[in-house]
Amino acid sequence: MTGMGLALVLFFLVLLGPPFAPHDPNDMSFRPMSPPSTENWLGVNDGGMDIFSELLYGMRNTVGFGLLAGLVSLLLGVVVGLAGAWFGGVLDQITMRLADILLAIPAVMILIMTAALFRPSPVTLALILSIMLWPTTAKGIRAQALVVKNRLHIHAARKMGASGAYIIARHLLPELFPLYLIGFATKARIAMFMEASLAFLGLFDPSRKSLGIMISYALKYYYLDIWWNWLLPPIFLLTLLIMTVTFLAISLEKVFDPRLKEAL
Amino acid sequence: MRSVGQIKPVAAYLLAGLIMIYASYSMPRLLPGDFVTAMYSSSHVTLTADQEKEIRAYYSRQEGFGHYLSDLLTFNWGYSYAFLTPINDLILEALPWTLLLMGGAHVIAMLFGFIAGVETAWRRGGCLEKAGVGSMTVLEGMPEIATGVALLLIFALNLGWFPASGAETAYAVHSPMAWARDLARHLVLPLSSLVLAYFPGNFLLTRGSMIMVLREQFVQTARAKGLPPARVRYAHAARNALLPMVTRFGLRIAFMVTGALVVETIYSYPGLGTLLFNAIAVRDLPLIQGIVLFSSLMVLFVNLALEYVYGWIDPRVSHAS
Repeated sequence: MTGMGLALVLFFLVLLGPPFAPHDPNDMSFRPMSPPSTENWLGVNDGGMDIFSELLYGMRNTVGFGLLAGLVSLLLGVVVGLAGAWFGGVLDQITMRLADILLAIPAVMILIMTAALFRPSPVTLALILSIMLWPTTAKGIRAQALVVKNRLHIHAARKMGASGAYIIARHLLPELFPLYLIGFATKARIAMFMEASLAFLGLFDPSRKSLGIMISYALKYYYLDIWWNWLLPPIFLLTLLIMTVTFLAISLEKVFDPRLKEAL
Repeated sequence: MRSVGQIKPVAAYLLAGLIMIYASYSMPRLLPGDFVTAMYSSSHVTLTADQEKEIRAYYSRQEGFGHYLSDLLTFNWGYSYAFLTPINDLILEALPWTLLLMGGAHVIAMLFGFIAGVETAWRRGGCLEKAGVGSMTVLEGMPEIATGVALLLIFALNLGWFPASGAETAYAVHSPMAWARDLARHLVLPLSSLVLAYFPGNFLLTRGSMIMVLREQFVQTARAKGLPPARVRYAHAARNALLPMVTRFGLRIAFMVTGALVVETIYSYPGLGTLLFNAIAVRDLPLIQGIVLFSSLMVLFVNLALEYVYGWIDPRVSHAS
């Protein structure tokens, strides 16, 4: 399982590295709805754009959105979780209550509303999504940090005069590493799914290529023969993307949580 | 969330609800420039001079939040100029379909996922189990979009077994029995897409918790007492495995809503999802806001109800404080 997950990941990194799309995806000069040929590997969509290039650009956008949201929410979660666990007291109470409230608000809805009303850039939307996603990571990290904080070596370090910053950087941060990876994988998966869904609903700039918007357009013509090369590739890639991240998250959990190893 | 030294669940949800309502209230008023042009300039709706005056008057009234709240509670949600109907009519008409689809899918997925998980955990170590778990893990990674489109292509397009869109055959007049059958026929594909998306998670989670529960001593005691295996499985062991599934449901429901929206759009099922899709297509902002707000409040309500369900399922939780 681990192997498969990692292999899939590598496959992806290779594929979406450079956007070696043969054509500019916005170039509308091809004959619309033509089947795959040597010039257009996956054919042409109804607007005259090369599907294969669209696919590559769209994949980059989706993955970029997911990674950005995952990273920022991870950072926020780690900072808030560690700060709460270390400093305790009022700071802890405030952040945990804030986290509870944020957890209660359905993230999707805020995203849809903001996207529809203000039409922000995808980066802004990714950041907004991160704001909704950090509470889960923060809670997990805070709980684990509290456990570690009470261990002997931390006590020893403190007695020997280590400052808070030193202990956090040297001890807590590295020890909680598994949680970061798992948190990141989960968040990235959610973010990618959100990006595809939002694009599908039409909430992004129409000129921005995304797997979701390709699926949305392709769906209108599903009854024509063109679904082979237009509808299936983005769906397949989207599934592959999300599955890869899911497998990664599962394998990471298996590796780092020995209790689950026997159960799975 | 438990009420142990932290915010009480009810308070957190109420606060979240108020924040959502306030966001819904203030966002249009935050749009730069004149409200009417900001909202309707990019929309496909053209307003007559009278309608423009009406909207302008509505938004420049300095009534504030309290009036908005009371409007909400009395189902006076505004008017959609794109569809030329009051918003609450549109939403309340679409709501039953969405509840039918989503609710049905969740119930079926939870029931089957739970039973399948329990039975699989009980009979460990068969090759059927390995294949089952493997395929379910793969299936879990498929988003609702993928299962929806796949089912559409296979069953509606190529095999023609089920209709590809809608909830009932248009303009048909049926007797109640035939109507129910027609509904069911249209419901099969969207329901299956959602169930396929929800089932693996429930199955794997239940199986995982059951495996851990079956090792407990009280299970051995129950078996030693000579209780029938079914009773041991369900009345004793499965109850403990129930809680993680319910927890997971509560946590994920907000994200499941997007999935349901997308599936509805794929099948043109006349629920809130298609309504939202169409509203976004014509950029009818009040309708979008109305739907989003309504769904958020529904989600919040469900989460709140779940808090009490936890206490009912697992008495240890309510006695924790």
